[in-house]
Amino acid sequence: MIARVTHILRSLIFVIFALILCSLVFQIAGYSASTVLTNVADGAFLRPGALAQSLRWALPLFITAVGVGVSFRAGYFNIGAQGQFYVGSICAAFVAEWLSGAPAFVVIPACLFAGMAGGAFWALWPGYLRIRSGTDEVITTLMGNFMAGLLLVYVTSGPLKDPSGSGQQASSRPLEAAYRISTSSGLSVTIVAIAVAVGLAMWLLVNRTTFGMLASLAGRNPVMVRWQGALLWKLGITSFLLSGALAGLAGTIEFLGPNGRIASGFLPAHGFTAILIALVANFSVAGTAITALFFGGLASAALYLPVMAGLPSAAIDVINASIALFITARSKLLDKVLRIGGHSS
Amino acid sequence: MNDIIIAVLRSGTPLVYVTLAGVIAQRAGIWNLGLEGLMIIGACATILGIVVTGSITLALLIAIFFAVLASILLWFVVEKLKANPIIAGLGLTGLGLGGTALAIQSFFGSQSAVNAPFGLPRLGPAFGVYGVLSILVVLMPVVVFALWFLLCRTRFGLQLSACGEHPFAARSVGLNPSMMRLIALSIGGVPAALGGAELAAGSLQFFGQNMTAGRGFMAFAAVIFGAAHPIGATLAAMFFSVLSAIGIRAQLVFGDRVPHDLIQALPYLATVFGLWLSSRLRGGTNGAVTEIRDN
Repeated sequence: MIARVTHILRSLIFVIFALILCSLVFQIAGYSASTVLTNVADGAFLRPGALAQSLRWALPLFITAVGVGVSFRAGYFNIGAQGQFYVGSICAAFVAEWLSGAPAFVVIPACLFAGMAGGAFWALWPGYLRIRSGTDEVITTLMGNFMAGLLLVYVTSGPLKDPSGSGQQASSRPLEAAYRISTSSGLSVTIVAIAVAVGLAMWLLVNRTTFGMLASLAGRNPVMVRWQGALLWKLGITSFLLSGALAGLAGTIEFLGPNGRIASGFLPAHGFTAILIALVANFSVAGTAITALFFGGLASAALYLPVMAGLPSAAIDVINASIALFITARSKLLDKVLRIGGHSS
Repeated sequence: MNDIIIAVLRSGTPLVYVTLAGVIAQRAGIWNLGLEGLMIIGACATILGIVVTGSITLALLIAIFFAVLASILLWFVVEKLKANPIIAGLGLTGLGLGGTALAIQSFFGSQSAVNAPFGLPRLGPAFGVYGVLSILVVLMPVVVFALWFLLCRTRFGLQLSACGEHPFAARSVGLNPSMMRLIALSIGGVPAALGGAELAAGSLQFFGQNMTAGRGFMAFAAVIFGAAHPIGATLAAMFFSVLSAIGIRAQLVFGDRVPHDLIQALPYLATVFGLWLSSRLRGGTNGAVTEIRDN
């Protein structure tokens, strides 16, 4: 418990560092940092209706972030959430296209399944290469992100192209209203139910099963886990598959729910934000839920800023990036100060 | 044929400069995923520098200053605060992309693009069709050679590699890996800024939001594909440019019958393949990551 409190304290200190850095960037770029930050807080949480908007962005982010947490816990640095998110949404879009005309209770589960399978596949090959040949998963998953992005461009301007679309951004045909699981507001019982189900299932998996126990041990000390007689490769592949499937599920939700179509380069910061959420929450499922709400708020503020406050939405990217710079920091001085709490690492 | 060579040189030169920045960092033991951020900072500072000062030399110096400053920030976070270099590098990239977008909007009130009255000096009509190339293109082989000499033929270069490959051993002979990384990242800021400058002011003379469009990451791929050797990585970067020129060419000649978006994915696929091959040859060990997380 004390260790957890020190971790939260440490995270908070570095978040404050990050806020100072991004204030500096705002000042250098010629904005008043206090104006920007109050407007961000306003757009994210304070204005009426902001919380519903934050929740809309938080739910898919939460699902992806829980998955990222699973692979990070197991010691695999899967930074390919963005690619898995894209491939999941592409597979779902293909299935929706093929099954077009079938009743909704067939199409929606089929899409969700296809999305998860697609995401899982996009995590499977880096996982296989990592475990079989020791090919570094950081680079393969990063390259996978770019390949998936180009695949999305190809799919939306080729096989799934919307012929009536305007030239700027290639996108697929809009999904029929019967197959949508939410309106473009992005909040519906179905989506909330899926997110809650994912949260509960992953919490149980991580905290109450042998797999969760062994996987997080394997992240810290793989040799010991091997001596315990557990199959490391099985733990590894399962972690990769789970994280990919969840990112793919989030992609499918964005496709079936608020977006209703896939477009080239849609939500380009989703994977990166999800990684940040997992890191800030230190991979705990409950922590991820809270952190996702915070970053979901930032994501909704990105839409609010240019319209209501006349500030560029890039301000949100700067805030996220500053948090990324500091969130994994482990200052020795800080360790000394925090060790009063009895936590040593 | 000439126009293909010119196209490859124009798209390849920025990539090569940024790749060199990645090579120095990689040799020192830091995976620099902030290359994209450094490049866009270089590009933005060059154009803003030209507009504000009216001098190309001053503009380049401003670009180098900001890129080195950003590199030092990365060093501070990774070495002094012991942050994870991969996440911190991605953070630096985000800071560069977001910060430059903010800067041009606050200076010019439009988020789309800023035009400069002039760009880098060109070779001029004396060189025939090649006269449209900027001086940074001609300078590129010189810089590559200089860096190769520095990294592979001097005491400093070998010490740097030692710090990257085995910091513990380097420390045991009295080197300070942390300081060496500071020097390496600072030196790397220079070519990264030049790469950005060539991209924005070499043939185009404008800066647009997000104009690097993933080139920094492709440079990182070239560093990995070229095994962090200056010559190898340069060849890898040029090879990637040839691939993308083929993609554009195929689109012009065959139209939509050839999936040119998929041709653009070939560099990334080649990097995965090359990395897989080298990890197979090394016998499945995964040295690089554990060695960075020294002490």
